[in-house]
Amino acid sequence: MIATPLHLLDCAIVSDGAAAAIVTSAERAKDFPRPPAYLLGSGYGVRHSHIGEHTRITETGAIDSGRAAFRTAGLTPADVDVAQLYDCFTITVIVELEDLGFCKKGEGGAFVEGGRIALGGKLPVTTHGGLLSAGHPGVGGGFFHVLEAVRQVRREAGARQVPDVNVALAHGNGGVISVHCTVLLGGADTRTS
Amino acid sequence: MTVEKPLPSPDPVTAPYWNAAAERRFVLPRCEDCGRHHFYPRSVCPHCGSSQLAWGEVSGRGEVYSYTVIHRAPSAAFAPDVPYAVALIALEEGPHLMSHVVGCAPGEVHIGLPVQVDFRDAGDGVLLPVFAPR
Repeated sequence: MIATPLHLLDCAIVSDGAAAAIVTSAERAKDFPRPPAYLLGSGYGVRHSHIGEHTRITETGAIDSGRAAFRTAGLTPADVDVAQLYDCFTITVIVELEDLGFCKKGEGGAFVEGGRIALGGKLPVTTHGGLLSAGHPGVGGGFFHVLEAVRQVRREAGARQVPDVNVALAHGNGGVISVHCTVLLGGADTRTS
Repeated sequence: MTVEKPLPSPDPVTAPYWNAAAERRFVLPRCEDCGRHHFYPRSVCPHCGSSQLAWGEVSGRGEVYSYTVIHRAPSAAFAPDVPYAVALIALEEGPHLMSHVVGCAPGEVHIGLPVQVDFRDAGDGVLLPVFAPR
């Protein structure tokens, strides 16, 4: 036990690591050797600074960042083929699934049962292993989720590739579940122009 | 070797809180425009944006809003203390704050537990507001 009710395997693996991406216009990306991931929508949400002032602890800024991302993309959670969710602790994933609209508040635990978020499940989550199983180097740790979303929509994720991915969601939070960002990335089939 | 725990670093905004605690008084900032209390201390009211703030003594009563029991010490200084309860306290005046629940076994802490402020000597003249069952 680390801190009730979280055991060792409920907590992220502290590690070294770094991540980077090239951000450019869709026009310029045409000249690049690799296919781009298109930014379909994004959102941001913050509901507290210190968690001590949080008066609705089961709800996070992911509600706001998710709504904004889906609104700007013109998509709904049902359109997401794979979700890379910030998983500093196991409970974080469950709360984010609820707040991003994949299931109702309080139903996240039941939602993840039965392999639904595993490879081969209806909504594969954090397919690169995430902070819980791949590593957590701080800020770079959150960006791994973005890179995995890019790899999935490019369909170059190898053995962990989810079939027929068109839309991937990546979500990060910082502070103490304080600041939330959601992006929706699309592959070539989401780009009509 | 003695490993010391971190102590507060008061600044002009937070000094009234720590100065009162050193006298075993529990105070909160209150907005003189909208009348609401807040915590942590700030220069501007988070409810209405006013800078007309005043400190005042409050009841020190509240209840446990949520909690955890720490079993693995975050640093060597806390190793002798585990297991101990860290809780979010919902104060009667409205604000929530993070503190320790003392005066009972960590296993007896539960959501809704009525608590009252107490003060724990942290050394160097610093008293930390903590909470005990009432």
